[in-house]
Amino acid sequence: MDVLLDGLVEALRLLATGDEDTWAITALTLRVSLGATAVALLVGVPLGTAVAVARFPGRRVLLAGANTGMGLPPVVVGLFVTVLLWRSGPLGAFGLLYTPAAMVIAQAAIATPVVVALVAVALQQVDPDFRVQMQALGATPLRAHLALLAEARLPLLAAAMAAFGAVVSEVGAAQMVGGNLVGQTRVLTTAAVLATSRGQFALAIAFGLILLLIAFAVNLVLTVVQQRTAVPR
Amino acid sequence: MSIGCRDLRVRAGHREVLHVDALDVADGSTLAVLGPNGAGKSTLLRALGLLLPPRRVTGEVLLDGRPATVDGMRSAVAAVLQRPILRRGTVAANVASGLRLRGAGRAGSLARVAPWLDALGVAHLAARDARTLSGGEAQRVSVARALAVGPRVLLLDEPFAALDAATRADLLADLRAVLDGRRTATVLVTHDRNEARALATRTALLVGGRVRGLGPTAEVLDRPVDEDTARLLGFTNLLPPDGDGPRRVARPEDCRAGPDPVAGAVRGTVRRVVGLGEVTRVDVDTAAGPVMCLHPGPAPAVPSPGGAAHVVASATRALGDGVDPVRPPASPAPGTGGSAGRVRSGRPR
Repeated sequence: MDVLLDGLVEALRLLATGDEDTWAITALTLRVSLGATAVALLVGVPLGTAVAVARFPGRRVLLAGANTGMGLPPVVVGLFVTVLLWRSGPLGAFGLLYTPAAMVIAQAAIATPVVVALVAVALQQVDPDFRVQMQALGATPLRAHLALLAEARLPLLAAAMAAFGAVVSEVGAAQMVGGNLVGQTRVLTTAAVLATSRGQFALAIAFGLILLLIAFAVNLVLTVVQQRTAVPR
Repeated sequence: MSIGCRDLRVRAGHREVLHVDALDVADGSTLAVLGPNGAGKSTLLRALGLLLPPRRVTGEVLLDGRPATVDGMRSAVAAVLQRPILRRGTVAANVASGLRLRGAGRAGSLARVAPWLDALGVAHLAARDARTLSGGEAQRVSVARALAVGPRVLLLDEPFAALDAATRADLLADLRAVLDGRRTATVLVTHDRNEARALATRTALLVGGRVRGLGPTAEVLDRPVDEDTARLLGFTNLLPPDGDGPRRVARPEDCRAGPDPVAGAVRGTVRRVVGLGEVTRVDVDTAAGPVMCLHPGPAPAVPSPGGAAHVVASATRALGDGVDPVRPPASPAPGTGGSAGRVRSGRPR
């Protein structure tokens, strides 16, 4: 129990004193995970919308792929992205390996299937004639699409939360493509793994607590946005 | 504004599901499209509203006599579908949503919907969550939403189908009151003769994707041209012809079964007698097929099942074999709107 208690005390001290390294790690974690979530949404929302409303060959295969991708092991993603970005790999010329950009790419790859699958389900829940009705009230096709997204905004925000949750908590891909370099690519999860392996449990617990706090804060914001738009019954 | 079409064809896969030579609805008039399930009524409505994928449709849709563009149609039309598809949010926001979709501001559109909430009797629900409404209330909101955009063409796809009789009658009356005196061209798709009678000056009968009858509502509803339209118009009893004449049809409420042979009666065997409260239904098997008779009140004189019976019809219609189903009215009645069908009237557009 002492270890746990010490850990909590140390964590609070780190947070209270504003330890520079800790803040840097926290800031990078936020930047990478929010960036990856944003990329995943930018790619995943249009793709999920297409899967939900369009009819094209391979649509079901794509959806099945996205559903499988919801359980994609981060280590596998990390491996593929590492190979792609490796100096002799197809994208090696960009020199992205062991940079935050590489981590964003890997985490976006983890989160995109989650977004595609959840967006597709969210939009399929809406009445199939919804867009026809919107166009039959004078909406352009684009406006009708936006109205469809607005109609499904609650599950869409849930998709955003799931995507953020998937990336902020993963460690395998961040470790492999980021390398856990101090001051460059060290994020809370990789820092916690390192601290634990060194027996610095208090420090590891501190990182863990901050991670929880971030996850809660981001989801709180999204939940408030989500529920604010819901009309009370 | 008037709406119409020329040589309109809609395909589903390689099959043609709808082919309408010509249809015209003048401004301020209402056309009912009456047909059984699967006749292509909704398809026709959606084709007229340019709401189907263009690759499925050939032919022309006309607005004020000119080929309609998608933009022109969007600005002119509003539709009410069979299921009221409302958006998340309050009733007032839903009624305003048509205006919002056309680019109006939030405050401005909310201010403009009040008269429509009143006209459709949903003003007291303005602040309610649209998802908590009953079916009738939701359809009222859907109608108010369509009318709030000030449509010059109103497309109604069986808007009363899912409502109970009392709610339907109320909404029908409210809608009629709103449409009277407007220059909106209205197309009402329905399978209910009474809705056509209540709302439409002209009626088209649609069976199997083809127009089988077109003209003033009262005439069309009373003049079946073949077995399909006879069934659609309630003439469900097929009677043998008088001598060499055409086959005759009759409505069950005009048929009586009795024990005595009467001149012109059709002989048959009673299959069953069922009391339905206000009426008694008597099914009689005749040489021409089963005939249903609806007797008001109890029918004590009817023979028991298995007994011989004679069916007399007080009103019959002869099926016009080979007659052009799209018949023009004898003379264009004033106020019934423009021409329709294959016959063009001299009315200027």
